[in-house]
Amino acid sequence: MSAIIVLGLVLLVLMVLVGGKQGFQSFLSLVLNFGFLFFAIVLMAFHFPPIVVTLISGVILLALTIFLSGTNDETSRLAFIASVLVLLALVLLIVPVEHWAQVQGFGLEDSDDLEGLSLPIGISFIDIAISTAILSTLGAIAEATMAIASGLDEIKEQHPDIKPNRLFFDGVYVGKQIIGTTLNTLFFGLFGGSLSLFVWFHGLSYSLGDILNDKVFDAEFIIILFSLIGVIITIPITSFVITEQFKNQKQTKS
Amino acid sequence: MGNLLKKFPIKMVGIFALIGVALMFFVSHDDFLYTQPIMQIQKVEELSKNKEIDTFQNVDHSYVQKLSGVITNGKHKGEHITLNNTYTDSKAMDKKYKVGQKAFVVLHGQGESTIRDAKRDTPVVFLIYLAIALMFIFLKMAGITAIGSIIINTILFMVALYFDGFNNGSNVLWIFSILAVLFSAITLWLVIGWNRQMFVTLASTVACTFLSIIISLIVFKFTHEKGIFYESMQYVTQPPRPLFLAETIIGSLGAVMDESTDIISSLFALKMERPDVSRKQLFLSGRNIGKSIMGPLINVLFFIFMGETLSMTLLFLKNGNSWGYSFSMNMSLGMVQSLISGIGIVLAVPVASGLTSFFAEKRRK
Repeated sequence: MSAIIVLGLVLLVLMVLVGGKQGFQSFLSLVLNFGFLFFAIVLMAFHFPPIVVTLISGVILLALTIFLSGTNDETSRLAFIASVLVLLALVLLIVPVEHWAQVQGFGLEDSDDLEGLSLPIGISFIDIAISTAILSTLGAIAEATMAIASGLDEIKEQHPDIKPNRLFFDGVYVGKQIIGTTLNTLFFGLFGGSLSLFVWFHGLSYSLGDILNDKVFDAEFIIILFSLIGVIITIPITSFVITEQFKNQKQTKS
Repeated sequence: MGNLLKKFPIKMVGIFALIGVALMFFVSHDDFLYTQPIMQIQKVEELSKNKEIDTFQNVDHSYVQKLSGVITNGKHKGEHITLNNTYTDSKAMDKKYKVGQKAFVVLHGQGESTIRDAKRDTPVVFLIYLAIALMFIFLKMAGITAIGSIIINTILFMVALYFDGFNNGSNVLWIFSILAVLFSAITLWLVIGWNRQMFVTLASTVACTFLSIIISLIVFKFTHEKGIFYESMQYVTQPPRPLFLAETIIGSLGAVMDESTDIISSLFALKMERPDVSRKQLFLSGRNIGKSIMGPLINVLFFIFMGETLSMTLLFLKNGNSWGYSFSMNMSLGMVQSLISGIGIVLAVPVASGLTSFFAEKRRK
């Protein structure tokens, strides 16, 4: 049997043992995420516009991740709305910056892997780079909105008569606690994912200037920065969405 | 809403905007820092356009443009040069230049020169600055600690790379395993402080990361690593298998730390509030906290590991390869990495809860 399938089964068993039904749902979301991601790539190969495909599948992927891992439906709903808003804000940043930085496609370091492949395939690699950036940030956005939403949910439950404005600042406070560890998740992801590239840079004694202008490095680095910016703006946006909802709820009650 | 607006730190935003403008001006005029000649493009003339169809019936167009500009640094500063640049619609390894852009060029003498690549430090510095500024504005002190830990970890990472270079990567796994422990210790020290809670978190992080690697090695042994194509690893200058494992250890470390920190800090807070809580209750509430965050966390790494394979997978598909082959050659390693880190993240739930319920209990006696 293939190692990937066995590793997947080990993960499934562990997730069910630890999380029960919720663990099974989280595993299911991982499988479905992979399915949708691969489906999106195939659609792009059939010349569907990459950014449109990515935006639609991005919203689906956020929904899958958030609704299948959440416990409380109301919290998940708010987290989902917030995450879509964050995604839209990020797209407004990603599209111009990717056009500016021009890190699409492949770099000189890729030459060996590209041997024998035909490059002019008639699909804009700038659009593909934008899609890559959007897809890569989805996980971080979903995680951050979930964390803040459930943190605020906890507070709402314990202090039902909290003032809405107070709730907003509590959201920022919860955000402060998660930002340190989320930053680490992202940067260790970068260090780990690009380790062989860094070894390459070191072996060929690239200077700081070389690395800062290197297409392959920049492509990965700006994606991590997009995710980071996404997590930061998630904090006020999620707090705002939940505060507004809380205000409305109070008004309809009284 | 009015209240929120009143608290908006308009002064701080103004200061950051001013510094930002100055920084951007500097970075877009920092050509004198580079040794390679940089050209600023002043005139662009489109010369020709050709239709191209490759063996897989992909239709594209290739264009030739004539670029004239001036060298902005080095001993050729001020010289005018003219050169041709070819680009395609897909722009996989080429790009279309526009007036005002800067690019690195290679001068061959006798007026001959070729364009190498765009100068892209300005957008990168812009994004770094934007991230740091947002962090300060929204998070104040928490932002400073977070950035501090990133800077220290980057320095450590460079030291590890230096040691790795000594013997052509034969010790890569050991070097980066030690680095992983150092990374966790320093980061947790900065985030939590030097106390019992930090040691419990450190123990949980290190244990789960290595446990997930050991489990994977056992799986590798029994499946004879079927379906894992180390030859598809990119940028390899060393034996790929240990390098791949080192990548996985470092890559999953952050997420395992994230999960452990969340569980253990909540449990220590619970213990402070209600010192009479039993071991079993602590363990169970740790499991409750952990199981809701493990799913989203695994997805964070999944999207990072899989996202970066998009361009290459697409290129494979458009070059007449089957779905299965395109997956194996590009996405299988990212998939294995996601699964291994997933195992580490899930293990962190019982391990972090267990360690806390054991050690938090002890202190009371």
